Amino acid sequence: MSVKAVLVKLSLSILLITSFASVTAQTVLRIMSSTIVESPEGDVEQAIADAFMAANPDIEIEFIGTPMNDMFQVLTTSAIGGELPDIFTNTAEFSAQAQDLGIAADLNDLFSEDFLAGFYPTAIEEGTVNGELIFLPWFTVPVGVLYRADWFEEAGLAGPQTWDEFVGAAQALTQDTNNDGQNDRWGFAMVGTKNGSGFFRFTHLLRSQGAWELYKDANGNWQSDLGSEGMVNALAIYKELHDAGLVPPGVTETGYGEAVSLMASDKTAMMVTGPHTIGAILAQNPDLEGQIHSVPIPLGVDRSASLGVGGFSVAATSEHKEAAARYLEFLVSTENMLEWNRVTGRMPAQIEAGEQPQISGPVYAGFVEAIQISKPMPQATFYTQIQEVMGEAYQAVLVGGVSPADAAAEAGVTAAAIIADAE
Amino acid sequence: MTLESKQAIQKKSSSTHRHFNQRQLAGLWFILPAALSLLVIVAYPLLYGFYISLFRTNLLTRWDFRWFQNYVRIFTSADFLQTVFTTLKFTVGAVAGQFVVGLSLALLLNTKVPGRALFRTVLLVPWLFPEVVVALLWKWMYNPLYGLFNDILLTLNVISEPTSWLGSTTTALPSVILTVIWKGYPLVMLLMLAGLQAISQEQYESAEIDGASWWQSFVYITQPNLRKVIMFNLKLNNVWWFKNFGIVLVLTQGGPINATSVISIDIYKTAFEAFRFGRAAALAVIVFFIVFLISVLYQRFLGGDD
Amino acid sequence: MTRHQRQRLHTTIIFIALLIASAFVIVPVLWMFSTSVKTMEEMFSLPIKWIPNTISWDAYQRIWTDYPFGRYILNSFIVVSGATLISLFVSSLAGYGASRFRFLGRTAFLTFLLITQMFPSIMLLIPYFQLMKTFGLINTYAGLIFAYISFTIPLASWLMLGYFNSIPKELDDAASIDGASRWRIFWQIVMPLALPGLAATAIYAFIVGWNEYIFALVLTTDDKMKTIPIGIGELIGQYRIAWNDMMAVSLVVSVPLTILFLFLQRFLVSSLTAGAVKQ
Repeated sequence: MSVKAVLVKLSLSILLITSFASVTAQTVLRIMSSTIVESPEGDVEQAIADAFMAANPDIEIEFIGTPMNDMFQVLTTSAIGGELPDIFTNTAEFSAQAQDLGIAADLNDLFSEDFLAGFYPTAIEEGTVNGELIFLPWFTVPVGVLYRADWFEEAGLAGPQTWDEFVGAAQALTQDTNNDGQNDRWGFAMVGTKNGSGFFRFTHLLRSQGAWELYKDANGNWQSDLGSEGMVNALAIYKELHDAGLVPPGVTETGYGEAVSLMASDKTAMMVTGPHTIGAILAQNPDLEGQIHSVPIPLGVDRSASLGVGGFSVAATSEHKEAAARYLEFLVSTENMLEWNRVTGRMPAQIEAGEQPQISGPVYAGFVEAIQISKPMPQATFYTQIQEVMGEAYQAVLVGGVSPADAAAEAGVTAAAIIADAE
Repeated sequence: MTLESKQAIQKKSSSTHRHFNQRQLAGLWFILPAALSLLVIVAYPLLYGFYISLFRTNLLTRWDFRWFQNYVRIFTSADFLQTVFTTLKFTVGAVAGQFVVGLSLALLLNTKVPGRALFRTVLLVPWLFPEVVVALLWKWMYNPLYGLFNDILLTLNVISEPTSWLGSTTTALPSVILTVIWKGYPLVMLLMLAGLQAISQEQYESAEIDGASWWQSFVYITQPNLRKVIMFNLKLNNVWWFKNFGIVLVLTQGGPINATSVISIDIYKTAFEAFRFGRAAALAVIVFFIVFLISVLYQRFLGGDD
Repeated sequence: MTRHQRQRLHTTIIFIALLIASAFVIVPVLWMFSTSVKTMEEMFSLPIKWIPNTISWDAYQRIWTDYPFGRYILNSFIVVSGATLISLFVSSLAGYGASRFRFLGRTAFLTFLLITQMFPSIMLLIPYFQLMKTFGLINTYAGLIFAYISFTIPLASWLMLGYFNSIPKELDDAASIDGASRWRIFWQIVMPLALPGLAATAIYAFIVGWNEYIFALVLTTDDKMKTIPIGIGELIGQYRIAWNDMMAVSLVVSVPLTILFLFLQRFLVSSLTAGAVKQ
């Protein structure tokens, strides 16, 4: 081949490449995600996006990583400034706000009924506000009780099914293991901080006592049971666990991270949480592999469970809704959900993926059961305010010397005022 | 008066007048860049804040004009005074603590002590870390089980069992304030040090020859020279820490119960958790006037800074 | 006790006091360091260990390989240097103006400086964002620089006013008689004498910008434009905190600051010997 021929060929191919690039004017999808900045979540998410881009060369995905703690602040500011990304992380807690702010497109218009029928109905319900599907469920973090199976077996106990059993087990497992006269192992890693982690866990105790923090009555009006007998009982259980010394010192300082460390460092036997916590505990203490089992939230007068759905919304203002829907459809495949579960411990939002053998065994037993009986979180724009009231109430009982009855009475009054103010 | 002298006077006065004008203008030219850039960057956000405080709004789909309803509701709510009071305690503790520590260290560093360059650098270090890192670090040091403090105090037999410093309604606020002092004293120290070094050494030497005690030199030489720096620093620190919320949010989230619930946490939650921007803006406006009032009081009782 | 002995006793007491104060700084910082070389497994093992069984330097590697901290440091450096230089220049002008001239609006200006700091910054976020968007400054260095100078100009101006006040006005007058222009007097005669003040002010402005979080978070969405505090914030996940990485980054990025401070400190000290200025 002559030099000239090589040159011609080269220039032709260059021409071809450049024209190809210009023909496929790329759609850039901007995705604001909280998981992309986390490890190991981010790697999986990026790999899925890369696979999608390889299959769809006309679409380029650009992630905007934002930590979950700041997510809704950044999102709201961008929305008000008219700079929303095409896709953004959303959760059941924020879906009512997102609908109220009008920032999320109704996904019923973008996805077929058949496709949406593949998800757990509760997951779709959690994402639906006023008939609009605000976000597409991607994973669930059902809540239950994680417990140290080895210690339970040693003490001849089974996973607690009722709150009485729960308190009994906590009592049996609170021990002075080195006989220095002071307990160095406790029954329950109670999360008593005044933040979402604390509120969420208390909510489940409350609901198991037959009281709902917020719900719509038959007439469609918001009601709260924070002043009811169920609230008094829930607070009394927290108080009993605390006053009997069954939780480690500093309960109002024990947030999610602290509780995980307590479980990992062999300090506590039980924790109310979701399946994602297993991975976090094992990362700090690999010896516990297989020793952590799950049961649903103990029975009071009622069962309590929630899905803890997380997913993605498509912005109402997005100019690439079609492309966004294509990406989300790709993302929520059975295969991706299982990979996501394997790496992060979060469970699938789709029924087919949820029925795979990977999601079974004693580790997941409690959570699988929880999914079946889960109930949705209330979708009110003022829900965070109600949560704050619960937080003040349990902290007042735990460290403020207030009786459960008084704390419940005050919480009831405050909650009623918040509801009245909102309407 | 002769015409000549009259003219002379006129000439003189007009020249002073022109001179005066020039001096006026020159001064204005010098401050213009600062004034303009601050006006552009700060004026709009400020006015915007006042404006939205009159609405019930989420800033997107709801804009209900409500006159002063937000203010009325805030002032009639039971928690408001409590929150302001907690914020005041927090601010006074933080500002006074930083001031005492910062000034003391500056005075110590302003001597011919060996290794002072090293001390100066080391003592500035807390300031180099972002607020969130400082808060998380201290949160773990306060932790009853994993924390450094309990470990040290137990070893020294100061306490007999693990104490939850951030978990008790009595110790939470002082513990938060201690963290804030640690984070914030280096700025005070730096400014005081720079101020101290601008005082000529001869003043002290002649005072010493006159037999003045350390305290007398401090009161008669150091204090007047530092006064302006101190005053402005106090006022500004006061303004800053009254509004600060990052450290408290990480350490206690305003708890336990409401022991550390400062007003800026309230604003943050009202705005970005409840999305009630009108009410949040009204709270912000109230904070604005409170810190303004405090600055006026400083001016009135501690004297001017200029 | 002779005067000399008393002097030595004083110095010893001061030295010990400084040593104790330094311990309060060094112990937490050593704890940060100890955390940064621990593995996840040893992070929260009890009893507390200062020296972990396995010392792991992985975190110091990860901050360069797993996260774009190199880029973040560059961004922070550009933004913060820009903001520091601009606010130093603007505040020196303002400080000099307010120190040397009595003019209408002078007091109002000085009060205004303080007032700009009085509105809770969390409520400034949204209007700032709108402003920056209007001028196309989202995701730009300029946007952040503008935001940061608005935080630093007020105190910086007051500081410079204080330093200029301590420089005798007779110097200006003498230069003025020699026919120097206002600008020349400011730039060539007074400014060099204000170096200690400039150094302190520079340190102040630099650190304020270096550690700023919320505005950087909202005004930059592009990974390529993020600053160090944002990078550190991303290590604090919803469910877990990368303690070792976070401490490693915090320590590493404080090194250039310490060097900068050591460098600027020379100017801080220089005024001690620059007593001649006063005459």
